[in-house]
Amino acid sequence: MSRFFTTGSDSESESSLSGEELVTKPVGGNYGKQPLLLSEDEEDTKRVVRSAKDKRFEELTNLIRTIRNAMKIRDVTKCLEEFELLGKAYGKAKSIVDKEGVPRFYIRILADLEDYLNELWEDKEGKKKMNKNNAKALSTLRQKIRKYNRDFESHITSYKQNPEQSADEDAEKNEEDSEGSSDEDEDEDGVSAATFLKKKSEAPSGESRKFLKKMDDEDEDSEDSEDDEDWDTGSTSSDSDSEEEEGKQTALASRFLKKAPTTDEDKKAAEKKREDKAKKKHDRKSKRLDEEEEEDNEGGEWERVRGGVPLVKEKPKMFAKGTEITHAVVIKKLNEILQARGKKGTDRAAQIELLQLLVQIAAENNLGEGVIVKIKFNIIASLYDYNPNLATYMKPEMWGKCLDCINELMDILFANPNIFVGENILEESENLHNADQPLRVRGCILTLVERMDEEFTKIMQNTDPHSQEYVEHLKDEAQVCAIIERVQRYLEEKGTTEEVCRIYLLRILHTYYKFDYKAHQRQLTPPEGSSKSEQDQAENEGEDSAVLMERLCKYIYAKDRTDRIRTCAILCHIYHHALHSRWYQARDLMLMSHLQDNIQHADPPVQILYNRTMVQLGICAFRQGLTKDAHNALLDIQSSGRAKELLGQGLLLRSLQERNQEQEKVERRRQVPFHLHINLELLECVYLVSAMLLEIPYMAAHESDARRRMISKQFHHQLRVGERQPLLGPPESMREHVVAASKAMKMGDWKTCHSFIINEKMNGKVWDLFPEADKVRTMLVRKIQEESLRTYLFTYSSVYDSISMETLSDMFELDLPTVHSIISKMIINEELMASLDQPTQTVVMHRTEPTAQQNLALQLAEKLGSLVENNERVFDHKQGTYGGYFRDQKDGYRKNEGYMRRGGYRQQQSQTAY
Amino acid sequence: MASRKEGTGSTATSSSSTAGAAGKGKGKGGSGDSAVKQVQIDGLVVLKIIKHYQEEGQGTEVVQGVLLGLVVEDRLEITNCFPFPQHTEDDADFDEVQYQMEMMRSLRHVNIDHLHVGWYQSTYYGSFVTRALLDSQFSYQHAIEESVVLIYDPIKTAQGSLSLKAYRLTPKLMEVCKEKDFSPEALKKANITFEYMFEEVPIVIKNSHLINVLMWELEKKSAVADKHELLSLASSNHLGKNLQLLMDRVDEMSQDIVKYNTYMRNTSKQQQQKHQQENMQRQSRGEPPLPEEDLSKLFKPPQPPARMDSLLIAGQINTYCQNIKEFTAQNLGKLFMAQALQEYNN
Repeated sequence: MSRFFTTGSDSESESSLSGEELVTKPVGGNYGKQPLLLSEDEEDTKRVVRSAKDKRFEELTNLIRTIRNAMKIRDVTKCLEEFELLGKAYGKAKSIVDKEGVPRFYIRILADLEDYLNELWEDKEGKKKMNKNNAKALSTLRQKIRKYNRDFESHITSYKQNPEQSADEDAEKNEEDSEGSSDEDEDEDGVSAATFLKKKSEAPSGESRKFLKKMDDEDEDSEDSEDDEDWDTGSTSSDSDSEEEEGKQTALASRFLKKAPTTDEDKKAAEKKREDKAKKKHDRKSKRLDEEEEEDNEGGEWERVRGGVPLVKEKPKMFAKGTEITHAVVIKKLNEILQARGKKGTDRAAQIELLQLLVQIAAENNLGEGVIVKIKFNIIASLYDYNPNLATYMKPEMWGKCLDCINELMDILFANPNIFVGENILEESENLHNADQPLRVRGCILTLVERMDEEFTKIMQNTDPHSQEYVEHLKDEAQVCAIIERVQRYLEEKGTTEEVCRIYLLRILHTYYKFDYKAHQRQLTPPEGSSKSEQDQAENEGEDSAVLMERLCKYIYAKDRTDRIRTCAILCHIYHHALHSRWYQARDLMLMSHLQDNIQHADPPVQILYNRTMVQLGICAFRQGLTKDAHNALLDIQSSGRAKELLGQGLLLRSLQERNQEQEKVERRRQVPFHLHINLELLECVYLVSAMLLEIPYMAAHESDARRRMISKQFHHQLRVGERQPLLGPPESMREHVVAASKAMKMGDWKTCHSFIINEKMNGKVWDLFPEADKVRTMLVRKIQEESLRTYLFTYSSVYDSISMETLSDMFELDLPTVHSIISKMIINEELMASLDQPTQTVVMHRTEPTAQQNLALQLAEKLGSLVENNERVFDHKQGTYGGYFRDQKDGYRKNEGYMRRGGYRQQQSQTAY
Repeated sequence: MASRKEGTGSTATSSSSTAGAAGKGKGKGGSGDSAVKQVQIDGLVVLKIIKHYQEEGQGTEVVQGVLLGLVVEDRLEITNCFPFPQHTEDDADFDEVQYQMEMMRSLRHVNIDHLHVGWYQSTYYGSFVTRALLDSQFSYQHAIEESVVLIYDPIKTAQGSLSLKAYRLTPKLMEVCKEKDFSPEALKKANITFEYMFEEVPIVIKNSHLINVLMWELEKKSAVADKHELLSLASSNHLGKNLQLLMDRVDEMSQDIVKYNTYMRNTSKQQQQKHQQENMQRQSRGEPPLPEEDLSKLFKPPQPPARMDSLLIAGQINTYCQNIKEFTAQNLGKLFMAQALQEYNN
């Protein structure tokens, strides 16, 4: 029966393909009608197929079956559940039962269940073994069934007296039931089959489908094949399937219950099976069609075309033959397609193809660029929509298509300067074909490009960075950049300042992390020939990225009104400066921006960018030999121990438990693609080496000072780890190298230190990663020499009365002026108690270092000071008065504290020296 | 022959080790109500203690032993002693009481005084004011009222003067310990400070006349060089060690005070808060505010830190300070002497 309706609707939908009808017909017009009819129809089939009695009884038998199964596997909990359902179902079937009498099988299950439960109940051993739930269920079920069975006592006793008979009866009854139902089924099937056949013959003859006639066979084929597909995937028709299955089950159940089928019945059953199958197939088909129908009604008729896509490709069948393709028609069509967008069950891939088809048609019919632009916008939007999930990324082919499409769009836009594109153009005010006026199209090229950029990031995030695939994807980066550049050029002409800012930022984001090798090369080779040739060269090679960054960022600084873009631009600018070793510019910009004060209010991606910038800044400072600055810049990132996370270069396993799935997804989305990564080992090495250069002399200078503070906790941690090693082999990892170097430096042995810091292994791991590796290495050697000299002087000054600077300069392979300047500096800073003897070029030590006892006494005094302070605090508390007398005294005490400092001590000592 | 010698002592005179009894009892040390006013130690005991340390004690490790003797009038005579075996990890189940009883029984068989009158302990730079010492001395004194603890300082002895001191707990401290309440209030009530924890009992070393004669003779024969260790001017090591130890104790003291401070703050804060909260609640219910007493029942105040430890630390610091004072005074004396000598020679 359903066949009939399907056919009808089928032909109708087919007819709507003709287009003319559709144009005149309001889209929403037939929206609710047919599905409504259909649903009624569906219900009808069920109601007609089985009588109410059958239906109820089938329900009951089904439940009984599950109960029996549960009984078999001793799942009492399940039994209980099902029993409750059974009771309900029985209640529903009450009216029928009243008419027909209590069904035998019902009595039987009740009796059996009770017996079964009693048996279980008696089986103490088994009960013990049962799990808690089951045991509980058992007792409740037992009580329930006792209560319930009281109503059926007479039936049950009679059943128990004569179980055989009642079983037979039951079987008979079932047979009858199933016969009846199968008969009905048959009837119905007969009809449906007939209708189906009829439809087959009828459909092509429908006048609206004339144009499909030739393709009929093909069409059918495709439909069939699709049927198979549906069988496999079942995604679209899963609902119908499950329903179907239920029906099947009931039918089967009734059949299974047959005890002794006669041959006749056997045949019938076989026949029925076949029919069933056929019916099912038809049903499914009809279901699918129905669905399509629904979708058609929802979003234009195009879904129907899906079946004929290959066909359509060969011959555009978007519009009926002979239809005059006008703007109105095309736009109408477009709207229809777009309405399906975002709806469930819309085949997005097909939608895209359809749109592309539409472009083709529009192009073929010379509908003007406006329409094409419009459609293109929508194609790109659909491409973006293709993935329903935000986390998943575009497939490569989609991505390729998207890039092509944007390129084409840009081509058109460049070729036709009279097209205005904008977000703020309303649909109504669009002008797609009136050639007299400038064309106006709604849509924002900038948003598209931004989205494209996001998609690109997503693709990069989701590709294994060590695979060839990543490289392949990375090649698209050039294309992305090219597009951004084009859009930039376009927007520079037409866009508002805000838009320009946004596209500039995009450009910046694709520029800032790249090291400009060309510019670097140019810098390295000083102008040889005339300035003119150099200029030519520069022109040939295009703009320096530095100049480009400068230009873009300045524009943003000046014009941007949203804080975020400016912040990002500044950070990128700093990063770029730092990357190209323009330390002072980078630092000044960082300080001027005051970003350090308020970056914690920014959103996480900006914070990640900030962290990246700081790290780059630190590395830059290191390259310049500014160890202290490098250390300070890297301190925040390194001391947390979460550099990886802070730089957005990976998630920490440790905190994995702390966050839920949602957060993790969010964090994953924040990750920086691999090609932007900053080498973490390099980062750590730079940090540790700069910490070493600072810390080792400091440690040597304050060896006996109780108030000595650590400059770098992390460095100390590494040192301690190194010390804990029971057996010290030659260093393997970068950290071990640094630790070994630190130890050498502590002894003032700069040569060993040097060999630990700069060797083959470390070169490969770290130093070669710098663009100017050799320069860095020379800087590093010099730093090591200087700091070793300082350490040496701190550590061993007490054993020297005087030392010749020449000796020192030989020892550390530094030239005399450098040694002189280092020592002078130390003397000025009161780090070294010595004086320089100019004529002999020697350092004369002053024996003013406190002895061990003096040091101890100083420490003791300090400790006592704090003790007194603590004591006073207790006293304050007792008194309940903060401030007052003791407060004053405390301040006084603090004033005196100065004498404990080394400088003060020395002064005192020099006064009392004899 | 028991000579008393003050710490600031002219070192040159009391050179003989046996003669150098280290009874530096301060005036307040002897308490009037105790039966024992003086401790008389046999030379044998002193030698045994020294020998015990030399054979078994090393560095910071301490040696301990039992003192035997008897009380005669107001005098505690220590006539013999025996050492405790050193504790090692292996014999954790070693029964000390059993060992003591057996030792004493055996000694009785050879007619040696077997009255348990206390115990002795070696010390490392005078760091003996500890909880362990307090506890065991308390149990001794609890059982035998007269018992004392002899503290032997091997390092000082090595510098030329025997250092042996007898201590016992003051009656006040005994009472506090009996009650086992070391809360700040209890200590305040007992009016106990670190100065009145231990009292030193003056000691006298007694030898038989024959031995005394021998001593004189030995002294005559001994070369001058044997006595020179007393004149050593090297002071830094000892002083440094003492300072280090003192510093550690000061650190502990600081921590203790901080702990106490936090406790005080917490208590007052809690009291205020809880009081306010409770009263607010009561007010909202229209009840009169709670009286103070109920409050402490309602809310358990934070556990007050035991103050005994800080008392002990204070006592220890005091000892160190005494030590350092003594030592520096002696050394200054030596320095001046050396200077004078040099001037004289020149």
